[in-house]
Amino acid sequence: MTAGRLGRLPRADPVGALLALLRAPETARTFDEADWDAVVRVARPARLLAALRLRLERHGVFADVPERVRMHLDAERTLVRFRKQMVLWELECIARALSEFPAPLVLLKGAAYVVQGFGFAEGRLPSDVDLMVPRASLDAAERALLGAGWQTEALDPYDERYYREWSHELPPMRYPEHPLELDLHHTILPLTGRIQPKADALFADAVPIAGTRFHVLCPADQVVHAATQLFQDSDCAGRLRDLVDFDALIGELGATERFRERLVERARLHGAERPLAYALRYAGRFLGTPDALGLDSRVRGNDDARVRGNDGAERSRAMLPPIPRVARFMMDRLVPRALLPTHPDRRTPLAVRTARFALFLRSHWLRMPPALLARHAITKGWRALRAEAPSEVE
Amino acid sequence: MLIGELSTSEVQARLSGAGLGFEFGVARARVRSDVARLAESIRTVYSAYPLTEAEGFFDVTARLARPPGLRKHFRPQISFWLDGEQPFEPFPAETHLPLMEWGLNWAIANRFNRHLLLHAGVVERDGRAVLLPALPGSGKSTLTAALANRGFRLLSDEFGVVRLADAALLPLVRPTALKNESIEVMRRFAPGAVLGPSFPKTRKGTVAHLAPRSESVAKLAVPARPALILFPNFTRDAELALEPIPKSRAFLKLSTNSFNYELLGPEAFDAVTKLVSSCECYRLRFGDLEEAVAKIGALLASSA
Repeated sequence: MTAGRLGRLPRADPVGALLALLRAPETARTFDEADWDAVVRVARPARLLAALRLRLERHGVFADVPERVRMHLDAERTLVRFRKQMVLWELECIARALSEFPAPLVLLKGAAYVVQGFGFAEGRLPSDVDLMVPRASLDAAERALLGAGWQTEALDPYDERYYREWSHELPPMRYPEHPLELDLHHTILPLTGRIQPKADALFADAVPIAGTRFHVLCPADQVVHAATQLFQDSDCAGRLRDLVDFDALIGELGATERFRERLVERARLHGAERPLAYALRYAGRFLGTPDALGLDSRVRGNDDARVRGNDGAERSRAMLPPIPRVARFMMDRLVPRALLPTHPDRRTPLAVRTARFALFLRSHWLRMPPALLARHAITKGWRALRAEAPSEVE
Repeated sequence: MLIGELSTSEVQARLSGAGLGFEFGVARARVRSDVARLAESIRTVYSAYPLTEAEGFFDVTARLARPPGLRKHFRPQISFWLDGEQPFEPFPAETHLPLMEWGLNWAIANRFNRHLLLHAGVVERDGRAVLLPALPGSGKSTLTAALANRGFRLLSDEFGVVRLADAALLPLVRPTALKNESIEVMRRFAPGAVLGPSFPKTRKGTVAHLAPRSESVAKLAVPARPALILFPNFTRDAELALEPIPKSRAFLKLSTNSFNYELLGPEAFDAVTKLVSSCECYRLRFGDLEEAVAKIGALLASSA
């Protein structure tokens, strides 16, 4: 090991070091074992070891990583490969169970990345299979899957109703002994939310995967979905890996002018321009998401009236509307604190807990209208109280 | 310098400071703790281990801590933390060492997927290893501990760590957790062996940890070639019975008794194939430890 350099950046700021590695894997060359120790302890709970490994390998610096550290990165890749295999197996079972099913079967997120053969799927751990069918066919799909052996856990009436009436997915299903759950969706965001994506368009433009029963969303919709997952339908807490997915997806789908136009057009169609703008903003800031699409600068340009002013006609055709100043100011303070991992040995700072709570409230505010939200809060709050009471007295 | 050469308060100082490092062979762990009495137990059970500085890369960094709040006074508990996460529920505060051992094993089982992890004891003599895979209650731990106290080197008690490339067995020398009657059995069998304190009323009954001998700890970096696979089965008062089993059956038993066979897929298949084809495979029923140890010694010598 090299001379003791207490307080060197990676050890003093392992989160910053992890971001630096994800952005510029060559940084790895300057790391000693103690630096790696600090970084791995942040990357593991953030579920980013596999993504880290993939980026190190792609930049040709994996061999520079100490052997002891490589063992952990290899172990994670082994786990990823196993889960990918399990995804393919689950898909085979689903295809068999729904072989007579007339409606399109659209895969979302992890399973979609796997069937499209995206390289970055090697760097993420799928935890379930997300399948979307048109709402009109939802009940039939559920019946077919239950008939073929999938099971759902019994939920209490409120949760059951929540899923069935207000959610964009059904309660998770699992085939006995299978490691992955199946989430059956009919759209990509809750029905009660502020943003209502055009489900018809999602299905109409879905792309078939050759040799399978499945479709995936069109590329631009995949990017929109990744953005809304994080910035519309979550509290962002510890979700750096979702931003890493987004960054990888942008990297994978290429940098053509046509795609850029298409992305802005689809975001507008689904009413999801704001979450897309946030995703681009923070992916650019934390991960240096390539600006090749010109989207990042466009978002910034939109923030700034002067830049917009001296722009040509082409640009005005496809633009994300600017993030309003107040929202940008708030999100710039909340998102970094809530989204980035925290130091494993320190108590979660008050600022982080506050930011996470604020974004938790925001996500609920965006997910349901005020009356429903109040009702939801009372039901859940009352249940939490009841659940807690016995354990205190025990 | 060895951990046993530190005073209890020096061990405690490390636990509450940068951490105490443990070198187990294939794995290194660093533990921090402010739990009273854990230092004393560690000093007993880990006395033969080299003192490792807490600086550098560790496979596992764990922290044992009393949760804050009222629980401090009412049925106190301790939590096991891994990198800011609590992978399982807290234990009662008096079972500190069992929690540390259980937690470290949990972390190792989850993180060492570059190797095939069998649920097995491993001992070695003259460079040739005996693999003792078994289900809990088969007497595997007791038999492994007995062999390790009769001239065999201990490689591992819980995890048979198999290197995928060549099916060599890698050392992961950890204290042996003896349960219930086994504790007294081992005290009689090896009066000189060092046993940690007994912890009654754990989920597995009374547990006490047997300290590995210094000869085993001295060879943490030396792998061993597998020579013998024995599926032990302790039956009270039973006659010793050794029964060869077909390699196909040994294969099935090994592969279903692994922590990560499914996960590793074809590589694990190849490793288990190498293992069973390079080893003689037996089922060993025993009622008397001394007799079983002698039989295994003879078997290893004759199979050379």
